[in-house]
Amino acid sequence: MELVCVGLNHRTAPVEVRERFAVPSGKLGTSAKELLEIQGLEESVVLSTCNRTEFYLAGDHAEQAAAELRRRLAQAHGADSDPHWYEHHRIQAAKHLCRVVSGLDSMVLGETEIFGQTKDAYRQALDAGATSGVLNRVFQRAFGIGKKVRTDTRIQEGATSVAGASVELAEKIFGKLAGCRVIVIGAGEMSRQTAQALVSRGASSVFVTNRSYDKAVLLAEEMGGRAVHFDEWQPVLAGVDVVISSTSAPHPVVLPHHIESVRRIRKFRPLFLIDIAVPRDIDPACGAIEEVYLYDIDTLEQLAGEARTRREKQIAECDRIIEEELTKLNLPGT
Amino acid sequence: MDRWFLIAATALAAVGGINGMLTVHRGTRSRWTVIWMIAAFAAQMGFLYYRGQARGACPLVGIGEIMAFLAWSLTLFYLVVGPAYRLSLLGVFTAPLVAIIQTVALLPGVWVSDPERIPATDPWRETHAAMSVLSYGALALAAVAGVMFLVLDRQLKDHDLRSGLFHNLPPVRELLKSMVRLLLIGVLLLTIGVVAGFMMPRQPSGTPHLIAACGVWGSYLMLLLIRQVRGLTGRRMATMAVLLFLASLSVFALV
Repeated sequence: MELVCVGLNHRTAPVEVRERFAVPSGKLGTSAKELLEIQGLEESVVLSTCNRTEFYLAGDHAEQAAAELRRRLAQAHGADSDPHWYEHHRIQAAKHLCRVVSGLDSMVLGETEIFGQTKDAYRQALDAGATSGVLNRVFQRAFGIGKKVRTDTRIQEGATSVAGASVELAEKIFGKLAGCRVIVIGAGEMSRQTAQALVSRGASSVFVTNRSYDKAVLLAEEMGGRAVHFDEWQPVLAGVDVVISSTSAPHPVVLPHHIESVRRIRKFRPLFLIDIAVPRDIDPACGAIEEVYLYDIDTLEQLAGEARTRREKQIAECDRIIEEELTKLNLPGT
Repeated sequence: MDRWFLIAATALAAVGGINGMLTVHRGTRSRWTVIWMIAAFAAQMGFLYYRGQARGACPLVGIGEIMAFLAWSLTLFYLVVGPAYRLSLLGVFTAPLVAIIQTVALLPGVWVSDPERIPATDPWRETHAAMSVLSYGALALAAVAGVMFLVLDRQLKDHDLRSGLFHNLPPVRELLKSMVRLLLIGVLLLTIGVVAGFMMPRQPSGTPHLIAACGVWGSYLMLLLIRQVRGLTGRRMATMAVLLFLASLSVFALV
C-alpha cells in the first residue's frame, strides 16, 4: 500500500494558479469519491483552502495514480501549472500532512484555521466513502499529532498581525471584549481589519467616523455599527473603550484636550488608543494621561514581528515532535 | 507545637512564592502555588488550633498572634477569591506577603512562646478583634491586587510586553474589579469590627487604638466613595489601596 500527497500551495503557486484548482468547500467529499475512478487508487481526501489544494491518495499503485491525476488536472486546467505541483511519498506524505495540520505549512505560521479545514475535508471524504483503513488512520493520527504540537510548543503564541496584536492588547486591558465599545476614526482598510478583529472577539458597539460620511456609513453597516459625522466624534469618546484611528490627515486628529474633556464623564476608566496612521493621528502626549494606553503602528508591527520570530524559532521543535510521533506510530502506507 | 506549625506555614508559603516566581520567570503560569498555599493554610489552622487551646480564646493577643491571624485571613481570602475571580498570579504575589507577615510574627521579641490563658472573654472584644483582623486579610489582598495592577499598568504604558509576568497577569479591568470588591468586603468587615470595638468594655489606654481604627475605616470608606461618585484612575486607586494598607498596619502598634 502506498501513500502519496499531490498538491500546490501559496509557496509553490501564485493565486492565479491556485484559484484554477480550488475545489468548493461543499464538494470536497464528492471530488474525493470521483478520484477513486483512477486505477490503482483505493482511498483519497481532497483538501482545498485559499492557500492550498492537496490530494491525499492511498492504494496499491498510488504513485502511478498520482501521475494519472496530474495528467488529468493538466488536461482540464492547463499544462502550464505542472511546475507548481509538489509530490510527497509515503512517510514524507504523512509528515507533510502533520505539518499542514499543525499550521507549519501555512502562510501565517501556526494559524489554527487549517486544523478545522483539514478535519472538514477528511470528514467529507469519510462521509462520501472515499477513505478506508489507510487514510482513516493517517488522518486521525495526524490530528492527534497536530494537537500535541500545538499544546507542547509555542507555535500559536502571540498575534502575528497588527489587528491581532491590537486584539491581544485590548484583551489584556479589558479581559473579555463583550460589551466593549469601539470608535473607528477614518474608514481605511487597516482600521476596518482591526475593528473587525475586535468585533469578532465580542466588541459590541462600533462607531465609525470619516471625513467622507458615506464611507463611514458603509463601514458602519459592515460592522453592524453606527456612523458618526466627523465633527461629532468627540462626544462619542466619553462612552467608548477603544479608539482606532487611521485617517490620512497630515496632523494629529486626537489631541490630549479631547480626552481631558471627557475624563470625568468616563470616570477615569481605562482607554485604549490604537494609532495605525502614518503620519500619526493621535498626539503622543495622549499617552501620558494616566488611564490611557497608547499604541502606534510601529509598536504594533514590532509586537507582531516578535511573535512571528518566536513562532519561527519553534519550527524545529515542532518537526522533532512530528518525526518522533510518526516513528512511534508506524502508519500504513508509510 | 504551635510555633512549629507557624514555621511550617511560613516555609510552605515561601516555597510556593519562590516556585511561582521561577515558573513565571520561565514564561509559564504557576499551577502549584495554590497547592503550596493550601498546605500553608492547613499549617496555619494547626497553629491557630494549638494557640487557641493555650489561650482558651481566639488567639489575638499581642502583635505576633495578630500577624499570624492576619496571614491566615489573607490566605483564606486568597483561596476563596483566587478561584472565584480567576485571577492568575494572585498566589505568586500573595505567598511572599504571607511569608513576610508570618516571619514578623516569629521574630524574637514579637513571638510569645508561653501564652497565658485568658481568664474571661468578652464576646464584643472577640468580635472586634476577629472581624478587624479578618477585614485586614481582605484589605491586604486588595493591596496585593493593587500591586499587580501597578506592575501591569507600568508594563502596558512602557510597551514592555515581553516578560512572562506580563503574559500571565490578569487583565487590567479584572484586577480593578477584584480590588474594589475586596475593598468593599474589607470595609464591611471592618465596620463590624469597629462597632464591636465601641461596644466592648475598654480602658482609657485603648482609646487611641480605636481612634486609629476609625481613621482607617473612614479612609477606606472615603476612597470607595470617591471612586463611586467622582471616579478614580486605576493607578490612583491601586496606589491608595497599597498605601492605606501599609498605613493601616500602624493601628496594631497601638493595641
